[in-house]
Amino acid sequence: MTSSDVRDAVRDATAARAPLRIAGRGTWLHAGRPVNATRTLSLSDLGGVVHYEPGDFTLTARAGTTLGELTSATLPHRQFLALDPFGDPSGTLGATVATAASGPLAYAFGGPRDNVIGLEVVTGDGAIVRCGGRVVKNVAGFDLTRLFTGAWGTLGVITEVSVRLRALPAVDETYAMAVDDRPDQLSALIAALRVASIAPLAMDLASPLLASRVGAGSTTTLLVRLAGNAASVRAQRRVLDTFGDVHDMPVDVWNIVRTAEPASAIVARLSARPSRMASVWTDAREAMAGVPGAMMIASVGRGIARCVLPETTPDAARRLARCDATVIFEQLPAALWKEIAPSPVSDRLSRDIRERFDPAHVLNPGVLGEAVAP
Amino acid sequence: MAMAALPISEAASVALSPALERAASRLASIVGPRAILSRPSELVTYSADGLPFYRKRPALAVFPETREQLIAVVRALAEERVPFVPRGAGTGLSGGALAENDAVVIGLNRLRRIISIDPENRRAVVEPGAVNAGLTRAASEYGLHYAPDPSSQTACTIGGNVAENAGGPHCLKYGVTLNHVIALTVILPDGELVSLGSTEGERDGYDLLGAFVGSEGCFGVAVDVTVRLVKNPESVRTLLADYTAIVDAARAVSAIIASGVVPAAMEMMDGPTIRAVEASIYAAGYPVDADAVLLVELDGLAAGLEEDVALVERLCREAGARSVRVARDEAERARLWQGRKKAFGAMGRISPDLVVQDAVVPRTRLPDVLAEIHRIAQETGVLVCNVFHAGDGNLHPNIAYDARNPEATARVHHAMRAIMNACIAAGGTITGEHGVGLDKLDYMPLVFTDDTLDAMCRLRDVFDPERRANPGKVVPVRSCREWRMAPNTRRGELPA
Amino acid sequence: MTAAVGPTCALPDTPLAAAVPGIMTCVHCGFCLQACPTYLALGDENDSPRGRILLMRSLVEGTLGIDDPDVHTHIDQCLGCRGCETACPSGVPYGHLLEATRATIALARPLPLVARLILRTFERPHLLAAMLAGARLLRATRLPRLLGRLPGRLGFAMAMLAATEGRVPHRPYTRRGTGARGATAVLRGCVMRGLYAETNRATERTLRANDYEVVDVAGQQCCGALHAHAGDLEGARRLARVNIAAFERSALSFIAVNAAGCGAMMKEYGHLLASDPLWAERAAAVSAKVRDATELLADAGPARGASLPLAITYDAPCHLLHAQRLVRPPLAVLGAIPDLEIVPLTDTDQCCGAAGIYNLLEPEVSGLVLTPKLANISATGAELVATGNPGCQMQIGAGMLRTRTGRGTVHPIDLLDASYSRAERSPT
Repeated sequence: MTSSDVRDAVRDATAARAPLRIAGRGTWLHAGRPVNATRTLSLSDLGGVVHYEPGDFTLTARAGTTLGELTSATLPHRQFLALDPFGDPSGTLGATVATAASGPLAYAFGGPRDNVIGLEVVTGDGAIVRCGGRVVKNVAGFDLTRLFTGAWGTLGVITEVSVRLRALPAVDETYAMAVDDRPDQLSALIAALRVASIAPLAMDLASPLLASRVGAGSTTTLLVRLAGNAASVRAQRRVLDTFGDVHDMPVDVWNIVRTAEPASAIVARLSARPSRMASVWTDAREAMAGVPGAMMIASVGRGIARCVLPETTPDAARRLARCDATVIFEQLPAALWKEIAPSPVSDRLSRDIRERFDPAHVLNPGVLGEAVAP
Repeated sequence: MAMAALPISEAASVALSPALERAASRLASIVGPRAILSRPSELVTYSADGLPFYRKRPALAVFPETREQLIAVVRALAEERVPFVPRGAGTGLSGGALAENDAVVIGLNRLRRIISIDPENRRAVVEPGAVNAGLTRAASEYGLHYAPDPSSQTACTIGGNVAENAGGPHCLKYGVTLNHVIALTVILPDGELVSLGSTEGERDGYDLLGAFVGSEGCFGVAVDVTVRLVKNPESVRTLLADYTAIVDAARAVSAIIASGVVPAAMEMMDGPTIRAVEASIYAAGYPVDADAVLLVELDGLAAGLEEDVALVERLCREAGARSVRVARDEAERARLWQGRKKAFGAMGRISPDLVVQDAVVPRTRLPDVLAEIHRIAQETGVLVCNVFHAGDGNLHPNIAYDARNPEATARVHHAMRAIMNACIAAGGTITGEHGVGLDKLDYMPLVFTDDTLDAMCRLRDVFDPERRANPGKVVPVRSCREWRMAPNTRRGELPA
Repeated sequence: MTAAVGPTCALPDTPLAAAVPGIMTCVHCGFCLQACPTYLALGDENDSPRGRILLMRSLVEGTLGIDDPDVHTHIDQCLGCRGCETACPSGVPYGHLLEATRATIALARPLPLVARLILRTFERPHLLAAMLAGARLLRATRLPRLLGRLPGRLGFAMAMLAATEGRVPHRPYTRRGTGARGATAVLRGCVMRGLYAETNRATERTLRANDYEVVDVAGQQCCGALHAHAGDLEGARRLARVNIAAFERSALSFIAVNAAGCGAMMKEYGHLLASDPLWAERAAAVSAKVRDATELLADAGPARGASLPLAITYDAPCHLLHAQRLVRPPLAVLGAIPDLEIVPLTDTDQCCGAAGIYNLLEPEVSGLVLTPKLANISATGAELVATGNPGCQMQIGAGMLRTRTGRGTVHPIDLLDASYSRAERSPT
């Protein structure tokens, strides 16, 4: 499969008025709103690394390449792509960028918008657009790369992605610490951690159920990932010790965290300015109180709490939607979307962008809750 | 400087079109008669920005002092359908802040307040004309700073930084403007006020904020900007390595990048640049007989930093450094940086005119590309001064010359194009931080296909369907599909 | 730089034509903008160094005429503080460009009447002495203190006069050093001698205490700085020649100047008379001996005095900081005073708006420039502002009086002198 094949498929769909459901490996299709499509365009055959020059710390791969494959390609050079979205390593690079999915490492490295340096995209009108480039700094022209990143495929099908890579740190360790998550205590802890002499790659608060899944005990637990040279990590560990009873975790704890969610779960992200983290955590905990199987993990520095509920608990989802925070649902039972998740692209600019990049509405129609042409 | 290169089209007193006449009187009633300039002699100053090779005189210049005035100004221009160009401090290096004689310059330099600083959430809200270094100065009280630090930071504005997606030496580690803008309030060219991004957590939907940052004034005018502030590092070490061959310095850069240590900044200056700086009041003590110096800064937590310093020092020496010195104190560190930051200005000492270039190449290609630039300089007989962000592969090959000599000028332009072609051939791009503006319009088709340029036109048309905001910049108008279909279309007008 | 524009220069044989190489040095980078007090106050690049250089260039190119009123406005509104020079990486000699432009404009348009009256007065020693004597009489009535609160130009002028009242007691003392550091003449100055005579005495005493031999030089006149800044270069040259001849008559090691503006001018006599074959060398020789008085004191230590437990702040005069590039000497002088607390002043590198007679010619802009200075002074909480230039002392002092901020201004040497005086009266 090539980009031209994708272009032909998009043109065919337009001609036949047969909207497309765009899929990578098809592992994350339960995310997002129901798509009103008659055909599926799978990019699973559009895989492979196109260009990798380790000395440049940049890599270009086709969209269907999985995150696991990228890890295999970069690990021998002691490099990695700092994107760790929730889900397993069979998720594709294209889907990660299209959904702007990020994970715990976003605290230190940002999300897809901060790591993608170039894209090739087939737009809804069948044009092949190559934006950005293979260099780490680039302001040539308007920033289509940011526009397509996180657009859920509604403006174009991502066919190739260039990313910047990072060096694997010499030492990479994760520590866990039980935390008193009553609002005042939690708020004080977060404020103290913010000014402490540590520079974590990730710092996440895990709810008791999630903590027990990763083997960190059965109370609310702070997971801290420290990296750097040995002297630096040693010193940071000592700082952490002043906050409580710290114990070592295996580094694959993060893989467990990322794959702990059942495929069919309800997933919501609650966010606010970071100083409100403790309050968001408390609100979300209360909204999910008494729901068996509910889990939460919060990226403390970013002020984002990720809430996971069984799909059979719509009332808890409704309660989350009412929390005093920005609430973004990633997964919901089909019937709930319209009720509690307003479309984020109903403003004039967003509607106009869609019209200009996918005039026939053939790309993932409905996935962003936009009005779908009949 | 090359201000004489393209003289102003002379007409002692330009008659304004009826729409401009109406706009002028409406603007005067909004901002007051003293905040609008209309006489040609007052507008000369606004006929050039930081790249005075280009000179274009606007029809009017208007200086709103409050948010309300700015909004009213843009709305009045929308109603009169008059083109406009936002301008911050006019330090841009791509001719991006210049307006044709049918357009109005909106000077944002009086909207310069720092509205609030929130140390707990490490962010600040500023007006677009707030000066970059002034924000860092205000934030220092809380142990914070604004990380993007273009060399013009003592003068340039945050609004201008947003428009250009400005970088600077420290964006190697900390990222460019895009990575530091949380939210924007924007007045669109049609007068609609929109908020992009979010101050209260994540923003779902299209990344309109990401699209706006770096849009070079073509998508609207920022009314306020919410930026991230960064904690001041606990510890900073600055090293100066000097080389008798610039290619060795480039090899040191590659070795440091490959080691995995991420310096806060890694800057290179070549011999002619070193000598210009050392002749200026910003003399930094660089060795004047060196072919290149490399300035490497490491920062972060105190613990472990010395290990990284030792590693970088060793890598510099292994690549052939004649000496490596570590700044002993803050004063010495500041001096080393002043020399780097003022290098561009210092080139005024070499000859009356300067062309400024801004290309990016993959970092492994730096040694080849620098050698190629040297070859081109020899072949064309021009003096190239290289001063650049080596860690990002962001080159600034600048050529000093005398524009009054047409033969030399022709050689300079030939050399520039050859250098740009070499950078593109190496897998690079045509601008890393200065923007396209007017200066790099012609290079755009060298790096982007027609379909890509057309997609950029489409994005612009979402924000500014009438193409009144900074018209004629960034994307060559002939690249837009409707222009290709209807070549008679005049600038600023959509086909019927 | 190569030859001047030559045939294309629209103003051949003018001071501006000679300044073309300096104009061409500007790369238009804009680093000067935030260093320019009038740009900050007015928010128009026409009132910035870069903008004014572009206007100068337009004059040279002929795209703007020498009689253009907008050019006059923006060139007139320049303080001449030269703050841009210490920000300029290209080394544009802005002060010289400004003087050349003003001199060229003066060929086409006479100076304003007020300026002419002031300048002519400063050229006539007896008239000047009489006027200053009158001012002292008026000051002694204490009326200026009251009238200084009135709005408008007159009120401000009265406040300036009131600001010249001494703020520290001067009691003579006998301490003197060896004189081994050389024969030194103190420039008497015009305003200094007329309104700050005690500071002149203090300068002599402190120099003597620090091993300088102070000698009196007769025949001095106004240094010519006001004339040069206003574009009356011929007037400045006339006065320079008188002073050069006067100082040549004594075998001097140094000429000590306690007014930063005068010192900056005298250090430039060589440049001012560079094209006068009879005087160029003599001018350069005199310029080479000129020092700010604090430079001489700092070179000698200076000797420490007795405790003065005061909180003060220090504001750097532009013609010391930017024109003479002297940062440390005045601070060294203050540093020799035990227990004197020097509260740092924000934006001390920004002009106060005095700028010679600028505050009289452009009162509105001068007031806009003074406002942030007063706010910064107020923020220090200090009662006294030390600054080594009579224009700045009067401008800031007047502003402080009118806004009821602190007690006023002093010369750094006043404080050192008071400290020495105390040491003698109550030896420790």
